[in-house]
Amino acid sequence: MKKTLLVILSATIALASYAQTKKLVLEVPQSQLSGTPVPVKLPNLEPKGTNPEVMIPVDATNIAKGKKVTSSDDFPLIGELELVTDGDKDAAEGCYVELMNGLQWIQIDLEKSADIYAIALWHYHSQERAYKDVIVQISDDPDFKSGVTTVFNNDDDNSAKMGVGKNMTWVETNYGKIIEVKPSVKGRYVRFYSNGNTTNDTNAYIEVEIYGK
Amino acid sequence: MNAITRRSFLKTAAVAGSGLVFGANLVRAQQNKDEVLDIALIGFGAQGRVLFESIMKLPNLRFRAICDLRPAQRRYVRLWVKKTLKQDVTEYVDFNEMIAKEHTENVKNGKKGLDGVFIATPDFWHSPMTCACLEAGINVYCEKMMSDTKEGARKMVKAMQKSGKLLQIGHQRKSNPRYIYAREKLIKGAEICGQLTNANGQWNRAVTTDLTCPKKLELPKEVLEKYGYKDMHQFLNWRWYKGLGRGPISDLGAHQMDIFGWFFDARPKSIMASGSVDFYKDKDWYDNVMCIIQYDTFQKRNARVFYQVLTTTSAGGGYFEQFMGTDGAVKMSENPALTKIYKENGADKAKWDSYVANGLIQKSADPAPSKTAIADARESKALDTYAMPDNLFPTDPTDPSKSAPIHLPHVLNFLDSIRGKAKLTCDGAHAFEAEAAVFKAVDAIEAKKELYFEESDFVA
Repeated sequence: MKKTLLVILSATIALASYAQTKKLVLEVPQSQLSGTPVPVKLPNLEPKGTNPEVMIPVDATNIAKGKKVTSSDDFPLIGELELVTDGDKDAAEGCYVELMNGLQWIQIDLEKSADIYAIALWHYHSQERAYKDVIVQISDDPDFKSGVTTVFNNDDDNSAKMGVGKNMTWVETNYGKIIEVKPSVKGRYVRFYSNGNTTNDTNAYIEVEIYGK
Repeated sequence: MNAITRRSFLKTAAVAGSGLVFGANLVRAQQNKDEVLDIALIGFGAQGRVLFESIMKLPNLRFRAICDLRPAQRRYVRLWVKKTLKQDVTEYVDFNEMIAKEHTENVKNGKKGLDGVFIATPDFWHSPMTCACLEAGINVYCEKMMSDTKEGARKMVKAMQKSGKLLQIGHQRKSNPRYIYAREKLIKGAEICGQLTNANGQWNRAVTTDLTCPKKLELPKEVLEKYGYKDMHQFLNWRWYKGLGRGPISDLGAHQMDIFGWFFDARPKSIMASGSVDFYKDKDWYDNVMCIIQYDTFQKRNARVFYQVLTTTSAGGGYFEQFMGTDGAVKMSENPALTKIYKENGADKAKWDSYVANGLIQKSADPAPSKTAIADARESKALDTYAMPDNLFPTDPTDPSKSAPIHLPHVLNFLDSIRGKAKLTCDGAHAFEAEAAVFKAVDAIEAKKELYFEESDFVA
C-alpha cells in the first residue's frame, strides 16, 4: 500500500513538474547567407541543424534583454556591445559587434543572481562558419575568479587553457545555438569566450538570450 | 602575431610553381630580410575584408591608409592595424586625396610614397581608381572584374603599360598552388585526362536576401550621389545593377571562365549564352546564366565548355570547374573537398597505377563504387576516384595548424612582384584576355546567337 502511494506521489510530482515547463522556442531571424563558403573542417563538428529540444520553466524568460555587456576588447572593431542584448538577431551590417582576434570574451550582467535554464547564442551567421574555443561560464563573481560553473566548452585541445571541453562545435546558422543548462545554474554574470572561427580570427556576436528567472 | 618567414613563403611558392609537393609545416621564425612595403586599401566591403585578412597575415608591410565611404569600415581597419601591428592608419573618404597625401606629396618631398594599393570597390570604380594609382606611380592589386565596361578594362591595361607599374587582377586561382599543380602536372604535363573533349563548370547559390543596414549607418544622400549611387540599397547591392557591376556572371563567372582558357592554354573561339532575370524581379542583371564556349586546346583539338551561374538554387552542387577527357576527368574547386580526379574505365590501368606510384595523384579515400544495380545497360559503371597530393596549399602564417586564407598566395605574388622576387600570375593584360569570355557572354545573351571572338576581344 505504502509503495503504491509512493509511486502515485512521485508520478504526480513529475506530472506537476512537467506541466510547469515549456519547450524553448526561439524567434529566428531570416537567413542571410552570402559570399563564398569557406570549408569548415574541425574534428568535433556536430551535424548542421541539431539544436536540442530544451524544456524550461513556464515562467522563465529572456533575462538578458537590454542588460549591460562588457568585453575583453575595450574597443571592438565594429559595432557596439549593446547589440548583443538588443533583441535584433539579423546578420546585416550594423547588427553585430566584432572583437579582435585571439581568445576574447563578452560578459552579460543580469543585474541580480538568477536561475539559468538555457542560453541561446548567435555569432555571425551570414556565412557558414564555426567558432572555436567557445566556453560559456556562469558566476556571481564579475571577475570569474570564484564560484564559476562552465556550462559549455568545445575547446577540444585546451588551446584556451581553461580545460578540455567535450561539447561539439557547430556551424552558425540563423537558428542560433541552444545551450541547455541542466540542472539550472544560479548566477548574475554570464561570460562567453571564443577564439576566432573557421573563416577568420575575429570574434563576432549578434545576439545572446539567457532564459532564466 | 606569429610571423612565417619570407623565405618559407618563397619556398612554398617556388615548390608549388614547380609542381612538387611540399609539407604543411613550414619553417617558422627564420630571419627575415624582406623590404618593408607601404600599402593602402581602397574599399572595405566583403571582398576588401577578404583581402585585408590575407594582407594582415603577411610580414614586412606598413599599412598606411584605408579609403572607404563608411566610417565604421575605416575604423575597423584602423583599429585592427593599430592593435596588431601598432601602426597608425590614416582614414580617407576620397581616393584622390589618399593618393595625393600618402603618395604624390611624399614623393615630391623626398619621402616614401605607397608601394602598392589594393582596390576592392564596386566594379565601376575599378578603372578610374586603378588608372589614378598607376598614373601616380603606384602598383595596384585590383579585384576582378577589371571593370563593368570593356572600355574601362582597356584603360587599365593601357595605364599599366604606360606607367610601367604592376597591375595584378584578383583572379586568385592563378596563384593557387593546387590549381597550378592541376594545370601544369595533371592536365598539361601528364595529360591525365587523355584527349580533352569537354569542361563543365558552375557556381550555384541558393536564393539570398538583399543586403541591408540600420538607418543609423546609412550614408548621406549627397555622399551616395557624389560617388555614383542612387541610394543606400544600390550602394550595398551594387553587383545587381547596370552601370555599377555586371551581375553574377561577372562576379562569379569571371573566376571560373578564366580557368577554362588557362587550363586549355587557349583563347575561346565562340560563345552562346542564355540568361534572364528569373527571380529577382527588381534587379537589372540576369540571375541565371548558362553558356557554351568552344576552345581549340593545347592539344590542337576542339573542346566544349558548359558553364552556368545560378543564383536561385544551390542544388547541393556548389562551385567547381571540371575538365573531362577520354581517359579521365579532373574536377577542381577552391574547396578541396569538392576536388576529385576520375579515371575512365577504359583508360590504361598501368599508366594510372604509375601516376599513383610516382606520387602524381593518390587513391581517393572515397567509398567503393555503389553496388546499386545499373538501370540502363548503356550506363557507364562507376569510376575509380583519385585525389591530388595533400598539402599543396600553404599553411596559415599565423597558425600552421590550418590552411592559409584562400587569397593569400595571390596577394603574396603581388607583393613579391613589387619586391622583384616574383612575376605577376595575372597581370592586367592577361586578365583582359581572360575576361573576354565574360564580357562576350553578356553580348551573346543579348544577341541571342552564337558569337565568335576576334583578336580585339583579347588585346587592349
